[in-house]
Amino acid sequence: MTAMPAARPTPPATAYWIGFAVVVVLLIVAPLVLPPFWQRFATEILVWGLLAMSSDILIGYTGMVSFGHSAFFGLGMYGAATALLTVKPPSLGLALLYGLVAAGAAAVFVAYFATRLRDIYFAISTLVFSQIFYVIIFTWTEVTGGENGLTFSQPRLTIPGIWSDRFTPVTFHWFVLAVVVLSYLLVRRITQSPFGMVLQSIRENEPRTRAIGYHVERYKIVAVMLSGLFAGLSGVLYALQNKFAAPDFVFFVVSGEVVIFNVMGGMGTLVGPFAGAAFFLLLREGLSRFLTEYYLIPLGIIFIIMIIFLPQGLLGFLRRRLNT
Amino acid sequence: MPPGGTAQLPLVRVSNTTARSPILTTEALTVRFGGLAALTNVSLRVPAGEIRGIIGPNGAGKSTFFNCLTGVLRPTSGRIMFNGEDISGLPPYTISRKAIARSYQITNLLPGATALENVRIASQSRHHNWSMLRHHRAYRDVIDRARAVLADVGLAGKEDELAVNLSHGEQRNLEIGIALATEPKLLCLDEPTAGMSVAETHATVDLIRQIARDLTILIVEHDMEVVMGLAHTITVLNYGEVLAEGRPAEIQANPRVQEVYLKT
Repeated sequence: MTAMPAARPTPPATAYWIGFAVVVVLLIVAPLVLPPFWQRFATEILVWGLLAMSSDILIGYTGMVSFGHSAFFGLGMYGAATALLTVKPPSLGLALLYGLVAAGAAAVFVAYFATRLRDIYFAISTLVFSQIFYVIIFTWTEVTGGENGLTFSQPRLTIPGIWSDRFTPVTFHWFVLAVVVLSYLLVRRITQSPFGMVLQSIRENEPRTRAIGYHVERYKIVAVMLSGLFAGLSGVLYALQNKFAAPDFVFFVVSGEVVIFNVMGGMGTLVGPFAGAAFFLLLREGLSRFLTEYYLIPLGIIFIIMIIFLPQGLLGFLRRRLNT
Repeated sequence: MPPGGTAQLPLVRVSNTTARSPILTTEALTVRFGGLAALTNVSLRVPAGEIRGIIGPNGAGKSTFFNCLTGVLRPTSGRIMFNGEDISGLPPYTISRKAIARSYQITNLLPGATALENVRIASQSRHHNWSMLRHHRAYRDVIDRARAVLADVGLAGKEDELAVNLSHGEQRNLEIGIALATEPKLLCLDEPTAGMSVAETHATVDLIRQIARDLTILIVEHDMEVVMGLAHTITVLNYGEVLAEGRPAEIQANPRVQEVYLKT
């Protein structure tokens, strides 16, 4: 074979990593310069962005729209709560582990049934499953605290034998940032791997993918499971930040917002969902200050205008470049 | 045959006249859609290495036959034996893994992906398909194989073109390349020259002759010149039944076949 001509010349890759480094540095510095309210807000954007990115694995890469991500997010929250309330001393590692196991198990369960269906039927079945989880959590008061949810105190950040300290808002932001950046790099790698290419092939042409020898349903189950795990991870982070787990976050409205973050930011880019989450949350914050509960009206109008004039989303134009 | 062997390695040239053990046999294959019989008692024996033409007027059941072979349709009754194994009713991905590939009548590509990626993903289905943590470009074996297949089907130099931007003839050849990349032993070609110019048709006929050295080929084709020139044996379907079977010259001289073709 002759030397393989590079599929793309190097400059875009360099530009990508420079852009990536700049954004990460800005996010590291952000909590040091922002006032407390916006400090917290920045952390929250990262958490919601991670949830939206997990959904992008399905929406953007596999071509399946999930309306059930609130369930995985919520189970991540309740899993973390369980670990922090039952194990003494409260351990950050166990909170992560319990949350991931709960969300992952729920995702496998939902995936096993939902991936037999396609398109809108898949979307609706994920919605139905997430509402089942919501009802269970809402009514099983002895275990889940019902309507009130569960409250707990934040675990300490511990590196065994070396260091242990309470979280401050700044160190917690950095902790979330580290988890989010590692998750992003991992998911990005997965989408570029042979497995990720199969997911994109399913999105482009499912019967063809089956005809060339791929057991499509099995790939979809694994995709939903991966997506559920990262959604659960964001749920754990959100629970840690707010020191509670509440049924409101299992409700399907959260799933709808996740889809909106993806559409606004740009599906199939992984960074788009973060941009979408930031844009949506900032807009909501800004509008609700002036309009109180009527903020949804202008928000809806802006969303419709964006769908008409920016159907690819804020970062959709980057899609080809980001996926090489 | 070793699974790693690709299309460009000529194995033993199989003479089409010797009665070899058949690679594909269908026994009384029948498909009914409600009350409509799409295929009735179709029994075929295709020896390994043969190019078998399947012709017949529109609605004769040719595509239904292919759909059964590749697992898209489940036969109502009857059996399909491939390499001595009953494959009737298996799902498409399993059949693909038994080394039966198909190219489509309607071009059926990943339109937004490059020519190389279309073939690469097919080639990858046999190697490293569950790998998650390495970049797909790190698997050079898959890429080299895909490039070799593209060169075989005359698309060298078009690797980085998007499939949608290829000409019609190139897309049809890419179809064949995708099928070849799955390392088949039996290749089902559904009207491979449909819509092609005369020059493109000639090139594709040459290409099919070349790949036929290592494969068994079933070919559905409307262009009589193409199919008469390529096929060793021709099976004529009419109303879902086998009307005639024989060498091209015999088929051309067969009065029942002539009648069917003159009628339509």
